[in-house]
Amino acid sequence: MPAGHGLRSRTRDLFARPFRKKGYIPLTTYLRTYKIGDYVDVKVNGAVHKGMPHKFYHGRTGRVWNVTKRAIGVEINKQVGNRIIRKRIHVRVEHVLPSRCTEDFRERKKKNDQLKAEAKARGEIISTKRQPEGPKPGFMVEGATLETVTPIPYDVVNDLKGGY
Amino acid sequence: MAFVKNQKTRAYFKRFQVKFKRRRQGKTDYRARIRLINQDKNKYNTPKYRFVVRFTNKDITAQIISASIAGDLVLAAAYSHELPRYGLEVGLTNYAAAYCTGLLLARRVLKMLEMDEEYEGNAEATGEDFSVEPAETRRPFRALLDVGLVKTTTGNRVFGALKGALDGGLDIPHSDKRFAGFKKDEKQLNSEVHRNYIFGGHVAAYMRTLMEDEPEKYQSHFSEYIKKGIEADDMEALYKKVHAAIRADPTVVKSSKPAPKEHKRYNLKKLTYEERKARLIERLNAFNAAADEADSDA
Repeated sequence: MPAGHGLRSRTRDLFARPFRKKGYIPLTTYLRTYKIGDYVDVKVNGAVHKGMPHKFYHGRTGRVWNVTKRAIGVEINKQVGNRIIRKRIHVRVEHVLPSRCTEDFRERKKKNDQLKAEAKARGEIISTKRQPEGPKPGFMVEGATLETVTPIPYDVVNDLKGGY
Repeated sequence: MAFVKNQKTRAYFKRFQVKFKRRRQGKTDYRARIRLINQDKNKYNTPKYRFVVRFTNKDITAQIISASIAGDLVLAAAYSHELPRYGLEVGLTNYAAAYCTGLLLARRVLKMLEMDEEYEGNAEATGEDFSVEPAETRRPFRALLDVGLVKTTTGNRVFGALKGALDGGLDIPHSDKRFAGFKKDEKQLNSEVHRNYIFGGHVAAYMRTLMEDEPEKYQSHFSEYIKKGIEADDMEALYKKVHAAIRADPTVVKSSKPAPKEHKRYNLKKLTYEERKARLIERLNAFNAAADEADSDA
């Protein structure tokens, strides 16, 4: 009998709970709130059977477009053939984590706002643009001794010592 | 000692998954907690309050708590050791005291939220099932009963506290099936019996039977009652006064004792590495000295 292609096929390891983390899931997952527009990661929790997304979405990140009583609507990109479709799925909160993908951006925004405010107070204009890493600066080599290498004339007697 | 095969190998411990800490301590029922705390996601940050009732050997704790990721927040609390302030000095863990504690908590919360004028609740404690009617302006304060790990049999004291809170004016979803005086055969609450329990009638009845049959046991069992001069017939009037006093002034009284600068240590302090080595050297020296003495004696 061939292997089937059911909804949860090939998910034996994917949906398995990690080592020594079986049983009740910690309550923070239930206490988190999600607003429309937040970025979330979809990570299936095999202990909760309801509201599981399809295995394709495990590990994907999307934006919240709907919030219901126990679940969240997430909009995720999926490549179908030669195009990318924005798919809307509903997932229970146990299978969702808040994403840290925008964390760096938000931190930078805060810092930049602070820097700009300080610069305005001082009266200067600063650029808060990120610059790519440039070439390394030049430096002087320290502690180098010069060794001049010159060719020595070929000496038949010495060189044939081993195998004459 | 005979050779005993080591049952719990290193492999056993390496694979062992501990339960949550509070489950190991036997204090929290996570199955119930998940269901009590879970708030609808489309209600975002609206808190979901639990009416928590816990009994110790000498005290009753009633609290209104909302959950958060950093830790649960207690909105208001009432303890039965506050009841002496309202005139009840003995029997602080019985059904009647539980009723008083629930009532005190309810009035305290409503006063804190300035809803106490609107929601008087049931001023006259009959044993009947009473639910708050929503008033015009604000909806009643809603909480969910959290019993903890107690067996919820009919007539349990947690339901005494629940009745107190309901009569105080809180909106707690409930049924009268577990109040003292509910008859399973008729499927009806006998409000007379329940009222009897609320006013300590069951305690008074026991006092009367003991006085008649076993006066010495009465003296030993109810010694505190005798010291305060409380008789079986005084119970109902006493509790009525306590209810009235609670309704009059449910505000918290902060203890006037100053907080101690250092907290008392309840467990042994762990020794540092140096201290442990020093201790070992001391013990070895003492052992050697004792051995030398034994040698010189023998």
